[in-house]
Formats: sequence, C-alpha cells, structure tokens
Amino acid sequence: MDATERLQAASKFLLQSPPGEINDVLNDVRNIISDDDALQAGILPALREYNLAQFTTADVPGHQHQCIVSEAARVEGSEESEEPRDRFWDPRSRTSFRFDHLALEASEPEPIEPDEESEPFRLALENSSLTYISAHFHDGVTSVFSTPGNAERFVVQVVANKYNPSNFWSGRWRSEYVLNLADRTLEGKILVNVHYYEQGNVQLSTSHTVSLELPQTITASNAAASANKILALIETEEARYQTSLNAAYQTMGDKMFKALRRALPLTRAKLDWDRVLGYKLGQEITANKGGFGSS
Amino acid sequence: MTDLVDSMLDLMRRLPPTHVEENVSALVGMCPDYADDLLGSVDQPLKVMVDRDTGKEYLACDYNRDGESYRSPWSNEYDPPLDDGTVPSAKLRKLEVTANDAFDTYREMYYEGGVSSVFLWDFEDGGFAGVVLLKKSLSPTSATEPSGSWDSIHVFEVAERGRQAHYKLTSTIMLSIVNRGVAQSTKEDTVEGKRDGEVSLSGSMTRQTEQDHTLQDQNSHVTNIGRMIEDMEIKMRNLLQEVYFGKTRDVVFDLRSLEDLEKARRQRELQKELVGLIKR
Repeated sequence: MDATERLQAASKFLLQSPPGEINDVLNDVRNIISDDDALQAGILPALREYNLAQFTTADVPGHQHQCIVSEAARVEGSEESEEPRDRFWDPRSRTSFRFDHLALEASEPEPIEPDEESEPFRLALENSSLTYISAHFHDGVTSVFSTPGNAERFVVQVVANKYNPSNFWSGRWRSEYVLNLADRTLEGKILVNVHYYEQGNVQLSTSHTVSLELPQTITASNAAASANKILALIETEEARYQTSLNAAYQTMGDKMFKALRRALPLTRAKLDWDRVLGYKLGQEITANKGGFGSS
Repeated sequence: MTDLVDSMLDLMRRLPPTHVEENVSALVGMCPDYADDLLGSVDQPLKVMVDRDTGKEYLACDYNRDGESYRSPWSNEYDPPLDDGTVPSAKLRKLEVTANDAFDTYREMYYEGGVSSVFLWDFEDGGFAGVVLLKKSLSPTSATEPSGSWDSIHVFEVAERGRQAHYKLTSTIMLSIVNRGVAQSTKEDTVEGKRDGEVSLSGSMTRQTEQDHTLQDQNSHVTNIGRMIEDMEIKMRNLLQEVYFGKTRDVVFDLRSLEDLEKARRQRELQKELVGLIKR
C-alpha cells in the first residue's frame, strides 16, 4: 500500500467509529500510520463526513445550548470564509460559526439573519421539538432548519448520546424528519447504534425509514398548532419504533438465539462425556441391570 | 509509543464486527510485517468447507491452514492437496479422530445442526494444543425473516504432569443476528405510511480459564476438554444473552424514554409537595 492508500484505509476506519469513540479510533490510526503531518491533512475529509453524518453537537459560542452540526446546518455561500465548507449555523440563536472537525469546537461566531418567510414556521417547529426532546430524551439535542430557496421545506434533527467508557459501553440515537408542506409529506429516518466492549465487541445497529402523508389539519398558515401536530406524529412514530424494537429483541433473544444453540440438550442434562466416548459402556450395562424402571 | 499490535487490536475491538474481514485485510495491507500477529489474534468468522473424500462439512480457520490449503479433520487431507502439509503425529491424530467424533455428538446435542471440527498440533516439548470449532448459521427463507450465525472458537493448550494435566482454554464466541423488516406498517397503524427497517446485533466475546484434571489414558483429554468447553459455552451463552438482548437494549431505552420524562418529573414534584404538606 502506498501512502495515499494507507490514508484511505485510515479514513475508512474513522468513518466506522462507534459513538463517542472517534478519538480512540483516531489514536489507534495515528499509531498505525505514524506520520502525523500526512495524517492530519489526509483524514480531514473523513472527520468532516463522520461529524456531519453522526449529527455531532457543538456548544454554540456565547449561548448555553448545543446545536447539531450536519449537512442541513451548512451556511450557503459564505464567500468571505477561507473554508466555506466548515461554516455552520444555529438557527435557534441565529449564530453562524466555524467548526473544527478535529477539536469538535465552534469558533468565530457571527450573527446571521434567517429567511423571513419561513422563520415563523421553523420557530414553531423548533419550540415543539425542544418540548418533545425534553419529554423523551435524557441528553437530547435538536436543531430545526429551513431550506434555502424553499420556504415550505424543513428539517428536524434529533441526536442523543450516552458515553460510559468506564463501563465499556456507548450509544447514539439519531433521527431526522424532512417536512414538505407543498408535497404534504413527512419523511423520517431513525438510526440507533450501541457499542458494548467489555472483553468483547458487541454492536447494535438499527435503521428505520418512514414516509407519512400529512393530515389535512397541518397548514403553513397555522404554524404553532401545525408544529405541535407534526411533533405529535414524530412522537407516535418513535414510540411505535421503540415498541417494535422491543418485539424484535424478543424474537432475536428467544427464537433465534435458541435455534442457533440450545441452553441444554433436549435431555435437559449436560453431556455424559464418558458415555460420549463409549468408554464406560461396561459400567453402564451393569448399572442398568440393577436400575429401577429400565426397560 | 504504544505497541503497534496493541493499537491494531484496540481498533478491532472498536470497529463494527460485521466488517471484521475487510478491516483485518485493510490492516494487513497497511502493516504487512504484522500480518501473522494480527491474523493469529483476531478471530474471524469460520468458513465451511466440504471434505473431498467423505463429503462431510468441516470448518476452516488459521489453525488448519497451510499456505492456501486447509486440512479436513475427517480425512486428514489438505484441500487443495498438499504433499508435505503439516499433520499431527500418529498418536495425536488418533486423539484428534476421537475428539472429532465426540464433538460431533456434542454439536448435535446443543446445535441440532451446524458443523464442528477439532484440530490438534504437537508441541516440541511433548505437550500439545488444539482448537475446537463449532458453527451454526440460520439463513432466512424470506426477505423479512431474521438470519443469524454462531461461531465458537475454543483454543486450548495441554501440559501433562504425570497423571495430571493442566489445561488453558481461550474461548471466543461470535454471534450475529440480523432482523429485517422490523417495524413495518400494519393494519393497526392509525397514521398510514410506508415503513422499513433493519436491526443488526453482532459481535464477539472472549473468556479464558485454566484448570487441572486427572488422566486415566489419552482419551481422558477429550472428556476433560469436553467438560471444560461445555461449561464455558453454557457460561458464555448466558453472558451473550445478557449483553446482546439485555444491555444493548437497556442503552437504547436509556437514550430515549418511552414514558414522558416531563410528566414523570412533575409527578415527582407533586409528590414532594404532598409529603411536605403532610409533614407540616
């Protein structure tokens, strides 16, 4: 493998990092590549891709809340910036910032004005979404984005992380809903990842997609009530999904697990290894002669 | 600087078990000098081969490999054939045949299907080592049915001490279950829509044990190792059950609560208030 191929392989490893373990993976990769300069330049695209896909959260400079750094959060056409690809915004605080994909820090905050036409509905969605995540997520973060050039399309994103390295587990819940008031659709996606790694490596990976038609009561003009209804739809869908997941666990844990390997043989006793080897056949015949109820 | 092999093994403990084969081969490509260390330490899913002589299935792994060929435990022949392939001594081969028969019975009792293989190899100092492999796969009969596989790799070392033997056992179980068509739409849904989803639970766990057992003759090794592996698999099956279907599920329900947390919070506050009132 030449240097470029090595960096490509390293990038692939980074993209597979379990929740909260990107730095551990990076540390391993750094050791394996053992060329910090080449590494730093070569893996930036992978780090960026990972952060955006995983709904990495950032502390918004000058504010007390976090926002999601994702493709939908990207600031369009910021020509003055040297790295236009790494400027994102938090619609909730109307702040744009530069995001460092290695340090995972937001800097250089600047005020930014939202699109006037779509902002009332976006704001209503954001309020309902904030209420929703505080009701169902222990450490949830949500961001709601409008779409440049389309005042009837919105993206609701939710992420919740739990990292517990001292007990060797971590988990991430991501969900995203694209609302289109013109097409009257709500397209959603839920992704869950769990890693358990005490003397092993066990990973849960789930994906779920849903496509719903909007009920007639949801209209652009009635922002607050419509936003509440949309989040109620999301709440129902996510509860439904969690219940289905529980049922899937049941199937996998009972039926599948037993079909792969029984807890005990049909005889409900462990194997008689001497007998398996046909070893103490003589003894057994003697025992049977004196036994009760043996045929 | 941390040892390179440690970093590679740490990486393999973190990356998705579903991609273990491609990740190992990428690592081997990056660090060809460490290929043997890596291939000897990272367990990969077992491949099923068919014995050319008997038509019976056996398992292929690093332990019965010589170059590009794999040795069958049933015929003792390599596939593709090798003239000078490594085989156990005549005495050990006899024990290997006995062990293969015994674990074939074990496999039928616990797995009700699947494939098993036992391979033994001599140590220069007179002891020996071996590996017991068991694999069972369930393939779905329809697109929405779950699929799964169980791979057991039990590596052991034996040191004879007179009428006693010391056994060191390292067991790895790889378990993977994929459930497709989870949470699809049903007639009972109040809001109509299209839904699709997949749940994948996969990984491996490793445990070790060391024990001393008495010997009556050579076959005692099979009964001793048999009991140790049986106990280990029972223990690890319980552990897998707990981790796969208990712990990972708990983390999901810890990320998102089905119950309304705000309501629960208000309830607690109300209760506190009431307790305060009564105390007064």
